[in-house]
Amino acid sequence: MAREVSESCIDSLLTEMVSSYCNRFDANKPELAGRRIEAIGYQVGHQLAERYTMERPRFSDHLEAIKFICKDFWSEVFKKQIDNLKTNHRGTFVLQDNKFRWLARMSVDPSIENVDLSQDTSALAENKATQAMGMHLYFPCGIIRGALSNLGIPCAVSADISNLPACSFVVRIKA
Amino acid sequence: MANYLAQFQTIKNYCDQIVIAVEDVSDLWPNIKDRFEEQLPFKRACLNNKTRNLVFVDNLPAEFILTTDARLRSRFPQEQSLFWFREPYATVVLVTCEDLEEFKTILKPRLRLIVQNDEREWFIVFVSRAHPSNDNATKMAKKVYAKLEAEFSSKKRERCCKFDIHGPEANFWEDLESKIMECVKNTLDRRVQFYEDEIRKLSEQRFMPVWNFCNFFVLKESLAFMFEMAHLHEDALREYDELELCYLETVNTGGKQREFGGLDSGDDQAALLNIGNKPLTQIVQDDSFREFEFRQYLFACQSKLLFKLNRPFEVVSRGYPFVISFSKALILHESTLPFCLREVWVISACLALINATSSHYNDGLVASDIEKEFYRLQGDLYSLCRVKFMRLAYLIGYGMDIERSPVNSASLSMLPWPKPAVWPSLPADASSQVLDKEKVILQATPRSKHFGIQRKSLPLEPSVLLREANRRRASLSAGNMFEMFDSRPSLIDGSTPDASPSTSPLQKAKTFSMPRTNSSPGNFDGSMDRPMRLAEIYVAAEHALKRTISNADLWKSLSSLEEFEQKYLELTKGAADNYHHSWWKRHGVVLDGEIAAVCFRHGNFDLAAKSYEKVCALYAGEGWQELLADVLPNLAECQKMLNDQAGYLSSCVRLLSLDKGLFSTKERQAFQAEVVRLAHSEMKDPVPLDVSSLITFSGNLGPPLELCDGDPGTLSVTVWSGFPDDITLDSLSLTLMATFNADEGAKALRSSTATVLKPGRNTITLALPPQKPGSYVLGVLTGQIGQLRFRSHSFSKGGPADSDDFMSYEKPTRPILKVFKPRPLVDLTAAVSSALLINETQWVGIIVRPIDYSLKGAVLHIDTGPGLKIEESHVIEMESCANVSQSAADISNVNGTQKDCTLAANKEPEQLSLDDGRIEFSDWASDVNSVLWIPVLAISDTLPKGSSSVNPQKQSIVDGMRTIALKLEFGASHNQIFEKTIAVHFTDPFHVSTRVADKCNDGTLLLQVILHSQVKASLTIYDAWLELQDGFVHTGKGNGRPTSSFFPLVISPTSKAGILFSICLGKMIGEDELEARKPETESILNIRYGISGERTIGAHPPVAVESVRPEVAGQDLIFKSALVLQRPVLDPCLAVGFLPLPSTGLRVGQLVTMKWRIERLKGFGDDEISEQSGEVLYEVSANSENWMIAGRKRGHVSLSTNQGSRIVISILCVPLVAGYVRPPRLGLPNVDESNISNNPPGPHLVCVMPPVLSSSFCIPA
Amino acid sequence: MIACVAVIGHQNNPLYIQSFTEADDALKLHHIVHCSLDVVEERVNNPKKSGPTLNETFLGLLYPTENYKVYGYLTNTKVKFILVTTDLDVRDADVRNFFRRFHAAYVDAVSNPFHVPGKKITSKTFAERVSNIVKSFGLSSAG
Repeated sequence: MAREVSESCIDSLLTEMVSSYCNRFDANKPELAGRRIEAIGYQVGHQLAERYTMERPRFSDHLEAIKFICKDFWSEVFKKQIDNLKTNHRGTFVLQDNKFRWLARMSVDPSIENVDLSQDTSALAENKATQAMGMHLYFPCGIIRGALSNLGIPCAVSADISNLPACSFVVRIKA
Repeated sequence: MANYLAQFQTIKNYCDQIVIAVEDVSDLWPNIKDRFEEQLPFKRACLNNKTRNLVFVDNLPAEFILTTDARLRSRFPQEQSLFWFREPYATVVLVTCEDLEEFKTILKPRLRLIVQNDEREWFIVFVSRAHPSNDNATKMAKKVYAKLEAEFSSKKRERCCKFDIHGPEANFWEDLESKIMECVKNTLDRRVQFYEDEIRKLSEQRFMPVWNFCNFFVLKESLAFMFEMAHLHEDALREYDELELCYLETVNTGGKQREFGGLDSGDDQAALLNIGNKPLTQIVQDDSFREFEFRQYLFACQSKLLFKLNRPFEVVSRGYPFVISFSKALILHESTLPFCLREVWVISACLALINATSSHYNDGLVASDIEKEFYRLQGDLYSLCRVKFMRLAYLIGYGMDIERSPVNSASLSMLPWPKPAVWPSLPADASSQVLDKEKVILQATPRSKHFGIQRKSLPLEPSVLLREANRRRASLSAGNMFEMFDSRPSLIDGSTPDASPSTSPLQKAKTFSMPRTNSSPGNFDGSMDRPMRLAEIYVAAEHALKRTISNADLWKSLSSLEEFEQKYLELTKGAADNYHHSWWKRHGVVLDGEIAAVCFRHGNFDLAAKSYEKVCALYAGEGWQELLADVLPNLAECQKMLNDQAGYLSSCVRLLSLDKGLFSTKERQAFQAEVVRLAHSEMKDPVPLDVSSLITFSGNLGPPLELCDGDPGTLSVTVWSGFPDDITLDSLSLTLMATFNADEGAKALRSSTATVLKPGRNTITLALPPQKPGSYVLGVLTGQIGQLRFRSHSFSKGGPADSDDFMSYEKPTRPILKVFKPRPLVDLTAAVSSALLINETQWVGIIVRPIDYSLKGAVLHIDTGPGLKIEESHVIEMESCANVSQSAADISNVNGTQKDCTLAANKEPEQLSLDDGRIEFSDWASDVNSVLWIPVLAISDTLPKGSSSVNPQKQSIVDGMRTIALKLEFGASHNQIFEKTIAVHFTDPFHVSTRVADKCNDGTLLLQVILHSQVKASLTIYDAWLELQDGFVHTGKGNGRPTSSFFPLVISPTSKAGILFSICLGKMIGEDELEARKPETESILNIRYGISGERTIGAHPPVAVESVRPEVAGQDLIFKSALVLQRPVLDPCLAVGFLPLPSTGLRVGQLVTMKWRIERLKGFGDDEISEQSGEVLYEVSANSENWMIAGRKRGHVSLSTNQGSRIVISILCVPLVAGYVRPPRLGLPNVDESNISNNPPGPHLVCVMPPVLSSSFCIPA
Repeated sequence: MIACVAVIGHQNNPLYIQSFTEADDALKLHHIVHCSLDVVEERVNNPKKSGPTLNETFLGLLYPTENYKVYGYLTNTKVKFILVTTDLDVRDADVRNFFRRFHAAYVDAVSNPFHVPGKKITSKTFAERVSNIVKSFGLSSAG
């Protein structure tokens, strides 16, 4: 029943999706592109949650659901678990993946890289790079949000890539 | 042992509390009995329960019985052991004694004797009668008591206590009670032990043939009973539960055929709550009990205990499953039981449980969820009861009046028919009733749904009753009824109502079995095996039921339709109310719907509507459209009856907006018809209605409509109509919301004309008045159908759902209209900046440059300023001009445009006509640049003046200026207005200046006339002649033509040309003629010339206007200019000489002396100076801006009249400005200029130096 | 015999409801399914009653009525599966197995990218699969 897809296909699919949204469909309005990508992720997460929660008892509280995301869900999607989960016990969870698969093999646009002569340009290049990264992170954020909301937990998910390839997702549950 | 059953029964009946035996050794009891008994019941007992845990029991009832009492006498030991629970639980030995001797000799042995058999739990109460005042008596009593204690009490157990008749010690009673309790406890333990051993022994041989349930039961119940007496209800209950389990086992396993019971009269009434219904002895059968009675008995015992434990909730929670399982048991034996006993029993059981529990139950003493559960169970009981009741009612023919709703169908159609061994057959004397029933069946018409909705109504019966009943009649057991019906599986569905020969024709159409059953009488008639007809079945069932039902009330409620409905309502209400208190809201609401149905039938539409609304809300809220579609028509009907138009309309709309598949087109058309009918009918006040579910709208796909500020437009909107037919909207209006600020309100676009919406997609266009700049989205669609004012909020997705759906399930509304900020839309400029010919009809070009905005239907208003008039008689030309783009002012560009124009204007310039200052543009000019050529004539009646070369003054530009006020009206409705006034420069072709080129000795003067061309066109001079003023004549009496004629002379733009005239002085006119005619003071230069120019550049040949100066051949124009000639001085009598200035030159602010020398050249005799006697009037004229004159400017100087006399006039003056300035001049006003020769002549200009820095100006004074 | 199976969305809206009775009395089955939601909610809202089977997706028998049985199943995503059967001796194992396969079918159906979450399931393949599952109900406990 379970059909497998080669990982490289998925990677290139994602890259293509991001690039086509950022550069073709919604070229000049990145926030809209982001929302669209996030929306696709949302649907995927929504459906994956449906599938991966089969055969398991219902979650009694938010924490259980989050844990499910960290353990089973993550290892289904990324073949590894979330490395570190933090929470303030008031509806905010931080899921940290020390080697996020979809960023692991990602390199910054060379045209950006070789201009870092002076400080400001390198800084500029830096945030350009992070912007590009951010575009690639809308999709996983959407996945998490979709999965959680399908489990009855409406939330907002944002990603933070302060130190690559580690990546931490911040889940804020809407009260 | 079973024969003890009866005895056991009786024993149980009288003994109900534990017994305490009193061994009254010394006849004390009568005295103290009362004081003992008033201690009862025991405040606080502490006993071991079955699991040997301490349990505290308050107020344990007990009674004291003397051992000598008959009740404790004469029992056989084994029955003692069997009914041990009734034996005393403690023995109190009452003794008293005054002296030790007596104690030793008599009392002690006696007591020993009493207490020797250790069966009993005993202790001794020593009663001292010694009065406290009597010391030695008390002392003695003490002694004896001490002895007694020493004798009978042991270390481990204190068996004595002392009771003073006069004032017992404070703690005596507690002491006594605790002692008694200790005994009771021990006894209880021992007996429990005993019973358990016995029970174990028995249960070991459970599966042996000798096994006898009765014995087991007696033991078990004895134990239970004992617990009950000791108020250990929990344990008692447990015993009964075990008993039940064990019984069910034996019943189910027991291979041997037992009789079930339930055949006695009154068995139809459930006895599951009344223990004493039947004595056990009646229901015992060889070694066990009849299931029917016994199981009820056990349940009764259990519920009794539960009530004692104040747990009515548990009674229900056990009761409902019990009823279910018991009714299953009844199914197994249905063939032996009376007709429908099962149904009747269930009904009574449910009612009994409901009444008992609800009377014992009082709210709030249990947790809320328990409470909810309790109510739910009550609801279940009610509805179970309700179902059975409906079944019975159906059997006796009330089926027509049972609502065929989903809930009823669900509960009845899956419930099998009763299966009696033989279906009850018609009693002999029932023919009249049959007739009645048939009448009823005939009269009853199946309730038709509203709006003529055709639905196969839901079945209330698992299979056709007629068939079922006939098949179950013994006589037809092998009859061909089977295949007759089985060949028609289509019958299985419950077609309504049952097929029967007596069904009304309407039903005949419906039911398939009709022809068969009609054709069948052939086989069956006459024989008593004829299949019963429906009416007969009803009647037979009725009779059978009458036999079954012993409860008068139940029978009554089945006796008539009204009674039935009343009961039906009661049960339904009960169920609904209880469900409402429970978790099961849906159940409650649905049953409300059933109540509503009855209310509706009885015309109580108000109640019905209320309930139906609840039901509809429930279904609509969760999107169960099929169910909603079943109920909503009823609600609508109620509202119709109540004349609640708003409600009725909205219901119709809701019906229309349900899934298309749920109703046939005809039905949906009926709904729409209702809406329309009502909308146009007599509604007092307009009814608002929300049709968002039915009429949805959206902007068209593609980019939003874009408008310039202040422009109207037409907005086209797509509207989806959910109506099955075309619907006419009398008016329609749509609001636009500005996206930037919501408060900046919603503007309504209305189309007052009626719009017809086709089913499905429509496109309507709305006129759009000018809007404020900004972008707008669709707001609300409102409109009117007759009196009905509807509104719709819902946007429909235009075409394919875009991926926004997954982001958030609501769709961001697209802007449908963009209105831009104000901007220039058109520009008008003069095509030509160079001068045009004055006094000639010239083309004025106006470049009209639309700035990406259409000038369709534009109108230009032209208003010429003073001194300019439009040649009305002539047409106006307009030609396209590709890129008269940037400022048409600069010439090169104009040249460029000329080419372009000729390129672009390959098509003939269009002729437009001007009427009262308006020009209407033609369409081709609506979006290309174009030039408008207007023939104008600038009038100036002043004759241009020539200037002498000595002081050439130029005439100013201004007097050639003319203005044209333009006003362009354009835009869809000429709402856009552009106004501009452009200046056009007109001028003469030439400016003329003259100088005397040379003076010959013979007095011939060569007059040079210099012509400056002032236009950007080459002028050709064909002819020129000079009309001289007086005092001058042409030499050789010429006709005033120039000396040498080298015409035509071509003057290229802005260049000069000169013409020479040779003239000489003529003689002056004498005074006599002076008054005859005034002399010509100036001469006129006439020039006949032609002009060759392009109107796109500047001056050009005048527009050929017919009847304008025909004598001028084609191009030839006449230019006149006035010249002033001065007679040269021939023999001057005075000479004015300008003496040279100081060599230092002139400086600003430096005094300088100007000197003139006046010398008389001629002596007297000359008339013109004769009168003046050596006096000469002089005058110094200077430009006051350049010079400051000191001293007298004007004055007389005396000059002797003899020739050669001279005088010097010197004037002090200060130059005020640096540069070349004209020096002051000396004039002699009295002397005719012609008599003065300037010799040496004064300079035209002198050079004035700027002041030196070190001049006195800079020295601070 | 299975009378009806249904998928109910997390807002208690019917996503898929199919009856297998030959008579066109689907409406009553709609009613039964709809009312059974009461029980589901009750089980979920006060779970302490459901004791050991706490939070188990399989809710077991919802209705002990004497003429039909209603079983329930509640997924993690608050989607409910309802099974109405008219034969009164049903093996729990069979029902569990049924629901497992039903759930699988459902998941595949909603994983279809063209399926809009929260809307009715119109996929034919899903319907076929369901009818197969229904046919094979009780025949073999092997999933």
